[in-house]
Amino acid sequence: MSREYEVLCIRCPKGCRLRITVEGNEVHVSGFACLEGKRFGEEEVRNPRRIVTTTVRILNARYPRLPVRTAEPVPKDKIRDVIEALKGVVVKAPVRRGQVIVKDVAGTGVDVIAERDMEAVG
Amino acid sequence: MKDVVVIGGGPSGMAAAVKLAGKGYDVALIERKEELGGILDQCIHDGFGTKIFGKALSGPEFAGHFMDEVSKLGLDVHLNTYVKSVNAGGDVKELVTVSPRGVERIKARSIVYAIGCRERHPFEIKVGGTRPAGVYTAGMVQRLVNLYGILPGRRVLIVGGGDVGMIVARHLYLEGVESITVVFPEEFFVGLPRNVQQCILDFNIPFRPRTVVKEMVGKERVEGAILVKVDENWRPIPGTEEFYPCDTVIFSVGLVPYAKKLRAIGAEIDPRTRGPVVNEFFETTVRGVFAAGNLVQIFDYVDDAVESAYIAADGVEKYLKGEKRLDNPVPFKPGSNVRTLTPHRLEWKDERPVVAFLRPAVEGRAWIIVRGGNGEILKKEFRQYVRPSTLERIEIPREAISGAEEVYVDVARV
Repeated sequence: MSREYEVLCIRCPKGCRLRITVEGNEVHVSGFACLEGKRFGEEEVRNPRRIVTTTVRILNARYPRLPVRTAEPVPKDKIRDVIEALKGVVVKAPVRRGQVIVKDVAGTGVDVIAERDMEAVG
Repeated sequence: MKDVVVIGGGPSGMAAAVKLAGKGYDVALIERKEELGGILDQCIHDGFGTKIFGKALSGPEFAGHFMDEVSKLGLDVHLNTYVKSVNAGGDVKELVTVSPRGVERIKARSIVYAIGCRERHPFEIKVGGTRPAGVYTAGMVQRLVNLYGILPGRRVLIVGGGDVGMIVARHLYLEGVESITVVFPEEFFVGLPRNVQQCILDFNIPFRPRTVVKEMVGKERVEGAILVKVDENWRPIPGTEEFYPCDTVIFSVGLVPYAKKLRAIGAEIDPRTRGPVVNEFFETTVRGVFAAGNLVQIFDYVDDAVESAYIAADGVEKYLKGEKRLDNPVPFKPGSNVRTLTPHRLEWKDERPVVAFLRPAVEGRAWIIVRGGNGEILKKEFRQYVRPSTLERIEIPREAISGAEEVYVDVARV
């Protein structure tokens, strides 16, 4: 039995419309303009992943929130868990861009990093 | 006396300043806010920089790269500084600035304006009803949520199917608002396909095409909105009104170049882009005054905005060196299937290809066709898929257009 999907590639702004057919262990992708798109299509049906971006609380800084993201894409069904895991997190300025804020967030094996420098204020 | 003053410390302003300082010019960079980075500080989602850096960065990361360059070069940066007035008439430009240091004057040989755009608001799209609390623009919501951790409300209606609206929808959904619906008059979302997928479809966020807000309802606070269906010409269909209960209405109905300041110094404005009329190096109709980034026109990607800043920086260099201009500038005109086109004219002697940005008025497989005044084809380039929501970029070699008295750029469906 084969299943068919239509997915928009999100690897680059082109936004190719991918047609994906899955037959058992075989994944066939068409409609891509580059190999990145082919790879995305294969991963999108086997194990779809996304970068998650949100904010955490920061003390002694210019703003009360620090933007953070997962250093790598995490499985799509873990997005909510990642957001929940970051809810109580409080950091203190100064923070440097790329600094690890939470290690192995929500058991994904992926770290959460700061998106920007934030100086200590006051 | 500075060689050049760059007004605006967002990505385009920083890019222009960094490139000019790198060439050895004496540059001042003026920013109204207390830090550089522009609007990217609130764009915490990823997807920036795929063209320039070959990877998807977040807004603050993209800005951070240029902020590092600015400090590495030891640029003369004026923060918390507002440009009160500019006299750009002569060879020496004079700026009057206001900052905590007081009122100051800066003299410069040239100016780059990189002051971006502003959001369109509900008054511009003729929404009826009351004006209670709980009505926001999308950018304002991004700021509240991403910098201050404040959710605007619990039940949200988003008006507009562009990129900013979709990104805000995803963000509010993840940050825990109770309900979201997105409405827009078009048949489908008008933003980038990747945003439709990863912001809307990924989370099954409800949306209603061919729908607009007829009226806002509520005395002190938004209680809801009256939605109405529209036909393909965006005309309301009588009898389709429906009350949608919500406590927040967010308008994400487009961006407009902030060209007021350029108009004030006498620069000509293009009614299509609503930005300045520019030549191929993004010089306005005021000699020695250049524009870059979203002030010129609204770019889809910050990467393209930064490219416009690099081109403007090359133009500043030509201006400062006193290089030769063409005896007869060549007008660039949009064809019937093109909504906006920059540049508006070819004015300099140069070897480099002209980079033109155009917004098609049609959708589908197409050729971008560059024609001369007599209709002869000077260059054509195939596109797998064009759409009005995606800005097209085309490089036109100088040889191809040498001798042409005017140049038309059009799009032809295949």
